[in-house]
Amino acid sequence: MKRKNVLAGLLTGAMLATVVGCGSGQATEVSDEAVPTAGDLDEAAEEVPTVEPGKKGTIEFWTVFTGADGTSMQAMVDAYNATNPDYTVNHRAMEANDLYLKMPLAIQSGEDVPDVCINHVERVPLFEENGYLEDYTPYLADSEVSAENYNPKAWQMTELDGGHYGIPLDVHSYILYANMDLYEKYGNGVLDDGLLTWDEIKSVGDACVADDIIPIGMSWLRVKFLSSYAQLGGKLSSDGETPDFNNDNALKVLNTWNELYDAGYTHKDGDDPWQLFLAGKMLFCPEGIWMYNDIKEAGLNAKMLDYPVFDTNSVGNWTSSHQFVIPKNDNRDDEKTQAVLDFINFMGNHSLDWAKAGQCPAHVSIKDVAEFQDMPQAFLADENDELKIYDYKYYGYAVESLDVVLGDVLFERMTAQEALDKAVQETKDKIEMGE
Amino acid sequence: MNSSDYAIDIPLEQTKTNTKKSKKFSITPYLFIAPHILLFVAFFLIPMVYGIYASFTKWNLFGSPSFIGTSNYETIFFNHDSTFYKQFWNGLKNTVTFVLICVPFQISLPLIIAVLLDKKPKGRNIFQGIFYLPTLFSITSVTLTWLFIFNRTLGLFNHLFGTDINWYGEQPYAWMTIVIATLWWGIGGNLIIYVAALAGIDRSITEAAALDGATGFRKFFHITLPQIQFPLTYTIVVSVIAQFNIYGQPLMITGGGPSESTHVLLMYIRNLAFGTGKSVAGMASAMSTVLGLIIGVVSVIQIIMIRKQEA
Repeated sequence: MKRKNVLAGLLTGAMLATVVGCGSGQATEVSDEAVPTAGDLDEAAEEVPTVEPGKKGTIEFWTVFTGADGTSMQAMVDAYNATNPDYTVNHRAMEANDLYLKMPLAIQSGEDVPDVCINHVERVPLFEENGYLEDYTPYLADSEVSAENYNPKAWQMTELDGGHYGIPLDVHSYILYANMDLYEKYGNGVLDDGLLTWDEIKSVGDACVADDIIPIGMSWLRVKFLSSYAQLGGKLSSDGETPDFNNDNALKVLNTWNELYDAGYTHKDGDDPWQLFLAGKMLFCPEGIWMYNDIKEAGLNAKMLDYPVFDTNSVGNWTSSHQFVIPKNDNRDDEKTQAVLDFINFMGNHSLDWAKAGQCPAHVSIKDVAEFQDMPQAFLADENDELKIYDYKYYGYAVESLDVVLGDVLFERMTAQEALDKAVQETKDKIEMGE
Repeated sequence: MNSSDYAIDIPLEQTKTNTKKSKKFSITPYLFIAPHILLFVAFFLIPMVYGIYASFTKWNLFGSPSFIGTSNYETIFFNHDSTFYKQFWNGLKNTVTFVLICVPFQISLPLIIAVLLDKKPKGRNIFQGIFYLPTLFSITSVTLTWLFIFNRTLGLFNHLFGTDINWYGEQPYAWMTIVIATLWWGIGGNLIIYVAALAGIDRSITEAAALDGATGFRKFFHITLPQIQFPLTYTIVVSVIAQFNIYGQPLMITGGGPSESTHVLLMYIRNLAFGTGKSVAGMASAMSTVLGLIIGVVSVIQIIMIRKQEA
């Protein structure tokens, strides 16, 4: 009986280890550093706020950075606190959807309102319209935070209704990775001008397929669509209100996908393109710049380039930006708000850690850092018009509806026109009910 | 001997005192149930009532709900052109499909395993532990495990059997993957109940039946099943309720695809209430109220039918 129990215990342990192993395996895909979970950071933050002796108070800082990003952000916050500021910053990381639910609730209740939050830039127009955000304008004159110190595109996106509602931390784009070892063999010089067109992908397709190499991967279709659509000058809504992305430009994007699929130049439905790319079985794979650590870990000889284009005059990468926003709070005095701006300014001037996490900092000072210049995403720091940031206030509805249909279009279970009409109708219906 | 033989003469006064005592209010039992009642009211009753109220409103979670009568219900029941009508009926169809596929297996498989374990084979405790273990895992661990196994190019299954099945992206494989992951995850809960119920059956009945020449099947259907009718009813009702609330498995395994064929109702509800855009909480509440009613009605029908059989 005892032996059975010991055996049962061992077996239990082994199975638990397997399952835990699966989980950590996922984590190491991003980074092999010791990564605190959102829960750890939550716990740490919930022990506060206590004002340290000699300090004026605390700045409650909510972010959407969990995992490896959270570690990097915490390191930056620690570096700021080490400068002995009047206000100690308490960093609280949480899942993005949690933050976007908790932040408005806190503002409405007036209790535990954070002093500064990270929001994705697409969220800012709607939050501004709802009156949740503080206008930076009155505070900028007395701070070192100014427009010329930031990536112009990322800065402009939060200039709304005559005010300024966000300070960019970074720009993070969806770009193209090329396996340079495979490129040597199959590339035929298509990257000589530094850009890859859809026609060039087709031109190298047959050679790849003959050797069981997949020419290009197609995942996270939402941003692929948005990148190409923006290159063609497409907008989700012409008037900023009613969605109308069921148009010829959108059809052109989706028809291009179908041409690739029909020719066998992309993977089959159900494949995991990123894993295939990391395994050296794919020539090109569009992905986010933040995925570069995976490539380093896999030891892959890969290069980062702009997202594929229709022609070389229309370069464009879907881009988002993490922005510092100040939630409205009548109980926060001007001195504290000014301290928040000091903190933001510090973060901008010390953003190398953020670049190491795979992001492209929005503060221009990063361009002077030699270590950053050696990073593959450095070319994005000089881009402006190429960064395609969507500012449609119903962006959330639009991309959710696109998520549902784009896979069916690529794998030809639905026509492009049907899919676009459905997505537009869904967006309209949600706008009507969400008002 | 009858009951009057045991009658004891109790003075009338003493009886009166006892009656008085028994009627005296005592707070103790209420204190015992208070924590549960408070939690029930705070986290179930009030949200449920507010949810039902919200279903008659247009509400984005942050502003004040504006009352619109039965408009949300009219939309999901009658407005064929509306996205919400399509989402509701597609979600409901997929949810019912999943319940119909999954629940019979979720009852029969653990029952079969419990009967086998009841024969006390070698290593019984180890097997019992193995079958129960997945129940302890989180939904994320479970779905990740099966995602790895059923990955088309890198997965264990296709590699072992030399197949090229697109498990998440084609039907019927997408449903099969979801059902297999669910069964693996949830088999242990029912199994433990059946093992305990089977252990409580009086062995002399089955032995007597065996002596009378009853076969294994006859013993199972005429002795074992009737003896465990209550736990069986309980597990059927609980399993149906649990599976009507399916969410995590299709979300993580198929993302609702292909062509929304595994997009279950809770995924639509969650997305409307807590999606990327402004919340459509009124409509989400209407959908969840209808789902709650359906679950309630199905459960009551099940219980009535089983009680009729008992009678």
